[in-house]
Amino acid sequence: MNILLHRYDITQEDDFHALPDFNRKATLQHVDKVYKAEITNIIRLTEMEKLFHFRILDPKERDTFSFLPGQFVMLEVPGYGEVPISISGSPTNKGYVELCIRKAGVVTSMLHRAGRGARVGIRGPFGTHFPMGKMKGSDILLIAGGLGLAPLRAPIFHVTENRSDYRNVHIMYGTKDPSQLLFDYQYKQWERIDGVNLSVIVERADDTWKGPVGLITKLMDGMKIVGDETYAIVCGPPVMFKFVCNQLGKMGVPMHRMFVSLERRMHCGMGKCCRCNIGSTYTCVDGPVFDYWSVMNLKEAI
Amino acid sequence: MLFKTLTKKDFRSLVEIILQSNEVIGPKKSGTNKDGNPIHKFLPVAKFEEIDLGYQTTEFSPKTYFLPYKENLSTYRFENGEWEQDIRYRIQPRAIIGMHACDINALLKLDKVMARDKFPSPYYVSRRRNTFIVGIDHEPAEKCFCQSVGADTVTHGFDLFLTDLGDRYFVAINSDRGFNALAKVDAKLVTEKDSHDYLAVRAKIQNSFKTKVRIDNLPNLLDIEFESDMWKKWGNKCLSCGSCAMVCPTCYCYGVAEHVSMDFTKGQKVKQLHSCNLVDFAEVAGGHNFRPTRSSRLKYRYYHQHRGFVEAYDEPKCVGCNRCGTVCLAGINPPEVIADLQAEGHGP
Amino acid sequence: MKYLRLEPKRPRIGVFDFTSCEGCELQLANHEETLVPFLKAIEVVNFREVSSYKGEDYDIALIEGCISRDDEVGRIEKIRAQAKVLVAIGSCACFGGVNRLKNAYNLDEANKEVYGDKPKSTAKVRAIKEVVKVDLEIPGCPINKLEVERIVQCLAFEVPFNFPVYPVCVECKQRFTTCMMEKGQLCLGSIAQAGCNAPCPAGGLGCWGCRGPAPDHNFEEFMTLAKQRGFSEKEISERLGFFGGFEGRR
Repeated sequence: MNILLHRYDITQEDDFHALPDFNRKATLQHVDKVYKAEITNIIRLTEMEKLFHFRILDPKERDTFSFLPGQFVMLEVPGYGEVPISISGSPTNKGYVELCIRKAGVVTSMLHRAGRGARVGIRGPFGTHFPMGKMKGSDILLIAGGLGLAPLRAPIFHVTENRSDYRNVHIMYGTKDPSQLLFDYQYKQWERIDGVNLSVIVERADDTWKGPVGLITKLMDGMKIVGDETYAIVCGPPVMFKFVCNQLGKMGVPMHRMFVSLERRMHCGMGKCCRCNIGSTYTCVDGPVFDYWSVMNLKEAI
Repeated sequence: MLFKTLTKKDFRSLVEIILQSNEVIGPKKSGTNKDGNPIHKFLPVAKFEEIDLGYQTTEFSPKTYFLPYKENLSTYRFENGEWEQDIRYRIQPRAIIGMHACDINALLKLDKVMARDKFPSPYYVSRRRNTFIVGIDHEPAEKCFCQSVGADTVTHGFDLFLTDLGDRYFVAINSDRGFNALAKVDAKLVTEKDSHDYLAVRAKIQNSFKTKVRIDNLPNLLDIEFESDMWKKWGNKCLSCGSCAMVCPTCYCYGVAEHVSMDFTKGQKVKQLHSCNLVDFAEVAGGHNFRPTRSSRLKYRYYHQHRGFVEAYDEPKCVGCNRCGTVCLAGINPPEVIADLQAEGHGP
Repeated sequence: MKYLRLEPKRPRIGVFDFTSCEGCELQLANHEETLVPFLKAIEVVNFREVSSYKGEDYDIALIEGCISRDDEVGRIEKIRAQAKVLVAIGSCACFGGVNRLKNAYNLDEANKEVYGDKPKSTAKVRAIKEVVKVDLEIPGCPINKLEVERIVQCLAFEVPFNFPVYPVCVECKQRFTTCMMEKGQLCLGSIAQAGCNAPCPAGGLGCWGCRGPAPDHNFEEFMTLAKQRGFSEKEISERLGFFGGFEGRR
């Protein structure tokens, strides 16, 4: 007599026959299967940052992949690691995914050395997005500090591509010094768009700098806005959120109309590894986009 | 739920016939500690005698059979400037004999995170569904406070659950697998005396908890006392060694690292369990650390157990096994930390 | 990696020994199943345990051992001048190692004790970083070959390598090793840097801290709890001083 416990192969379940799709939540699927993507283009932005264009090679997978401004992907260099990177490109661009990557650790250093044609893995998109639909008909403030322009570029694309949906748009960007400015080749283009106002500030000027000098909040001084008719998106280092959002608050923007994108350590993107957890909130699934009230309500969020 | 009874001899036969064709894990005596008390661990067993069902607690929780300390998530083959990914899930079935209610409750909590939430983990689900679980009732150890966190009894999440009635076991059956297994031995229908004896044993167990911890007000209290000095006091003791999370039956946090073979032909994506007490837990690229101090990390551990998890799933993450309190060299243990927090909440 | 359109660089490596047992060098030549690819991934310019060729055009110098004689100073300075990257390997090179125990004694007495009436030139033991600039330290007695392999894989693409930042306790737990303190032994595991995969406790021996202190280790609490468990200050101090990694902390 013997009892042979039955082998249960979950991959025989129906869900496993479809492509992994992170918009289908609560389905059992190959969550660690990556989309193979090729680096089709590399644009040097500064000493430390490059913009990469990734094309998902499989046409079906490319079709499945769609994202909204504010979402991120897990980018994997097989054998060396995986990192969360927010998407910098336009959601309407189905041809390739744009990621602005700063050289910081092993994975990003490998990427910075990689050449065109290199093939990496992409999982995602993950996380919440900026509520672009809700923002229709309002004035929009798009505020970024430092590397924060990378995630902010997606809503900039969205707003400029759907220009008639929004009223006045102010893009405000600040960095430590002029050498750190990202996407400087695009400023002229943004400025020329009807009803878009761009201002750029640096903390320390150099000989070539002709613009304003100071903290990002200086750009907001004297600005007239109607709080209840304005939405703000703020991306940047945590220390910036407090100053910018407090000033916005004084200018009359309610907390639920300010959105920030939080940065945390992440190893999964799916609310499992716990590394991005803030109290009860996973930055990867409940964020990275939060309204400012939620951030204030979270211990240790900023 | 269906119930049957099983003589101890028949239970032995049941385990032995499971052993014939399957891997079996059980509480095994593994040396003694400095005070001469036995140390138990859940380990593979080769014969029935190796299983010591009278164990009080185990040094490590059985979670490792569901969330291994190290697990391969995917393998890469590199060839001709190209790579291929290969993903495998563990589907070799096995049985775990002798899990206590707290550890099965721990699995139910892990199920919520790993199997039911937004992105179920196929690695976990595959292991969970391929594990046959036989639980057993026990008289609580002195420091166990599972009753205080509602984890002293369990109603599902297992195949069979035994209660020792002296000469026989009262068996709760919770799956067809369990029912079919029992059919292989001479399980008997439950008599009125069986039920009576069972309830008496349960009542005795329920009345024998010595350690009690008040947790109902913790979600609020943890927010109110977020800046309390008591966190500094306990944080100063914390070694940031991660041992608490390693032995915890519900701690699931991890890190992922990848390795290549020395000849650069293969790569591996490996998940390794981590701990929120380790210094790099919340450190991001560029070096900013969201929880740079020991006290902030220790506080976060309690915050997640009794505030964050409650908000997400309406129950604490802790099952009251006190393994973390036992393993901690610095003597940090939930009953004392929580008592301190409660005292802080009530003022001087 | 070819798939990244990147060719690995073969770092030109020289291996040099100072005062040591040469066990770490032996480790480099160990782990037979990957030895061939390991030696393919690097270019050995100078490594007498592997090759009789003695080149001077290395980029990376791996240094085993500590400085315990005056003539060693000139030699290490010359290597430093040649090497683009200087790596200290093993506890002797990183902390002075077991040899450092000598510093607790009068040099002449120590000399006499060891060499009797044929004294040798000797000096106070110093770690490599106390003499020249060190770019990377790989601690351990001996070093862990697997870790060295991973470092080489990072060097091959000039990307940073991250050591584990947790103490040995994590590795013990992940191997199901019963806590040595629980068994009544003194163990430095809770304050010592991991990365060795905790072989000593698994073999029944408490940790001696050969990899030095873990980042953010809690030394004060460790002293308190070790004394509470009945270990004498002398015993703890001897343990901390054994490999030199806790120098200044005992």
